[in-house]
Amino acid sequence: MKRALLISLVAATMLSSCGEEPLFDLAPSVPVTGTPPMLLSEMNLVRWEGDGFVYNERVVPYALNTPLFSDYTRKDRAIYVPPGASARYDARDVFDFPVGSAIIKSFSFAEDLREPNLNRRVIETRVLIRTADGWRAWPYRWNDAQTDAELKPSGDVLTITFTDPRGAAQTSNYLVPQRNQCQSCHERKDDDDETFITPIGPRARDLHREFMYPDGAENQLTRLAREGLLTGAPADLSSITPAVDFASVEARGVAALSEDEAQRAARDYLDVNCAHCHNPAGVQGITSQLFLNWDNDDPFNLGICKRPGSAGAGTGGLDHDIVPGSPDESILLFRVQTTEVGAMMPLLGRSLTHDTGVALLRRWISEMPAETCE
Amino acid sequence: MRRVVPLLLVALVISCGDDPGPDTSATHPNVNCEGVTGECVLIAPSDTEALLDAVNLLADNTTLVLGLGAYALDNQVTIRNADGVTLIGQGIGETTLDFSGVTTQVNGVDVVGDRFLAEGFTILNATKDALRVEDSDTVTIRAVETTWSTGVDSGNGAYGIYPVKCENVLVEDSVASFASDAGLYVGQCIGAVVRNNHVHDNVAGLEIENTQFVDVYGNLAEDNTGGLVVFDLPGNPIPGRDVYVHDNMIRNNNTRNFAPGGTVAQIPPGTGSFAMASRRVIFENNTYENNATVDIAIVSGLIVASDPSDWGTPVSEMVGQWEDLGLVQEGETVFNYRSENVVVKNNSHTGGGTEANLGMLEPELGLLFLAVYNEETVDPIIYDAIGESAFSPTDPSMNSNDNHVCLGDNSGSFASLDLERLAARAESLEPNLIEALFRPDAPFAPFDCTTLDGGPIAPITIPQL
Repeated sequence: MKRALLISLVAATMLSSCGEEPLFDLAPSVPVTGTPPMLLSEMNLVRWEGDGFVYNERVVPYALNTPLFSDYTRKDRAIYVPPGASARYDARDVFDFPVGSAIIKSFSFAEDLREPNLNRRVIETRVLIRTADGWRAWPYRWNDAQTDAELKPSGDVLTITFTDPRGAAQTSNYLVPQRNQCQSCHERKDDDDETFITPIGPRARDLHREFMYPDGAENQLTRLAREGLLTGAPADLSSITPAVDFASVEARGVAALSEDEAQRAARDYLDVNCAHCHNPAGVQGITSQLFLNWDNDDPFNLGICKRPGSAGAGTGGLDHDIVPGSPDESILLFRVQTTEVGAMMPLLGRSLTHDTGVALLRRWISEMPAETCE
Repeated sequence: MRRVVPLLLVALVISCGDDPGPDTSATHPNVNCEGVTGECVLIAPSDTEALLDAVNLLADNTTLVLGLGAYALDNQVTIRNADGVTLIGQGIGETTLDFSGVTTQVNGVDVVGDRFLAEGFTILNATKDALRVEDSDTVTIRAVETTWSTGVDSGNGAYGIYPVKCENVLVEDSVASFASDAGLYVGQCIGAVVRNNHVHDNVAGLEIENTQFVDVYGNLAEDNTGGLVVFDLPGNPIPGRDVYVHDNMIRNNNTRNFAPGGTVAQIPPGTGSFAMASRRVIFENNTYENNATVDIAIVSGLIVASDPSDWGTPVSEMVGQWEDLGLVQEGETVFNYRSENVVVKNNSHTGGGTEANLGMLEPELGLLFLAVYNEETVDPIIYDAIGESAFSPTDPSMNSNDNHVCLGDNSGSFASLDLERLAARAESLEPNLIEALFRPDAPFAPFDCTTLDGGPIAPITIPQL
């Protein structure tokens, strides 16, 4: 069965590359004003084929070096840039995408994560659209027949059961965010204190990696540039320091990392899982003064011996965000580990504990030169 | 028949405009879209999905009218991307947004948007905060109830009514109960009127935190751990100021402290009011009854966070009007831990101080009251004298009033205390700790002033009024 599907997929790829049978009859159609169409299929960006997604031309799939943990969901990402336009490369921040671009992220669960490609069900596809007034976020919910997804501004809450990578049964309280909840992660403040919506993932450090495209493996930045979706990227990619490939951390195990690798992986993990709020321009991060972006080097803002602002029930009875050398006295570790509603972090998108992430942060804090905070 | 008459009498008394608490005659029979300018959407009773669809596709100046009965929600009601939104129901207890079924970490009604108005509904069992309005200008909350059906329980959501980082806030005729932090909170705001509300069975009933230019009157605060409190938190960039607390009823605030954590976990049960790390605050014409520990405490922020450096904010990050306050400043850092320039006058005090901290071993501050007063009635007004250059339990002339604490025109008795010395004596189990207090007679010299330094609090003007 698996083999047959694979053959048909390869065949489909070959057919399309011969130009005889395009994967989509119509070109992508992304509205840059108003409400997008009721059905995801009407934008001609992506289609679910039962065992994988198929994308239209100029829609390029991508992966991130360190992804956000989302209760073990699988996330398939893709970028669309309209013909004749391209995103501008930025060495530090999210690339500047032209009006009409879309970033597409689809969430699916495999029944048993030890067999991640079998029995997948697609839950939702989130579409970020670059309009003339900035980015707008829209949630689409896949139907039971898995044939299409419908615009669902009201979001959804689901109970999902699955088997995790270690073989343990898990139940997730899965939140399909409301349209207005997208902002709780995708919002920043500009220099004039005005808020705006932004993508999070498409940065050089996250994208600088190989990806297995239908026609072979290639560096993602090279691919985007070659396809004309990205301009301004350096010809020599070796100047870019990529974020840690978290899949390799999962595969090797935290204990197998060198001290330096663990330190870097921890900072990259915090950057992706926390710094969308906990950064100096994050709407909710400003109040906390806890800045977990990878390039913050101020020990106080990193949480070292820092007392929380108003964590309330979130402190777990502890006094400081991070007590170097003492992970179990550090609020940060408590909050990423607990599943207690009202105390856990991140605020949205997690209802389960990410064992590898917690092990990594535990090691990072325990390997800091010990301090007693007072 | 015989029972009807007294009930009517009660109703008549409650509707009398001079009594603290909400105007209960303000019900909302048959609110609909008639006469509404701008877009208006009628949300059918119990149609939760229609409600969530509507709030997630809002245009500016939209009115959402909620129907009778309960909306059973499994996610928060998130209002964003639109200004001038009105969310109006058929009245407290008539329209209920019920968050009992929520399994994720969300609030009840969660709003960012200028000119927001919430009116006429109950928010029940929110996971975190019941009505959170953040970073918005001109916010009106009228006849809204926030409550938890679990009663006094540390697992309840933190805040009931929670406008934070807003400007021009009006909260009136609302009811907030059973919050495990503050029932009605106005925090980090500039310009607020909080009037005629009823707060009961919260840890902090009505809390004004790091907020500037506030008029608080006509409220009824009862059966909380602490009734009506004013304070600054350490490290917050908005120093509270110009808070006028007058004509409120603050009684029976003797509920055990059920906060799971945070600053309010340190409030001793039996507390009527306190001003902590605050300046330019007036308590006037309030009625205090039967608060078992203390009616009004004026205390330094150092009693909850003893390291002054925790209270520092860089000048470049300060928000609001602060330059004229004479805050402690070292180089480019401003510190807001002092309580100073506080006036307490013409309040009435009855039945309080009879059982300090209600005999509990926590929180520490209450335990100290218990140790000091033992069997005696606690003075209704207490001042911790932190920062005073001179203190003497026996010689009035040897007490300074560097912090400009004014107690003239008061009916209740008063004590100031040297907290550090007292704590040391308490630890070494010395008897008769009460003799270590300074308890002057009226007019309480050197605290016999009656007005704020720097002029009175100007009338609070907000666009809604």
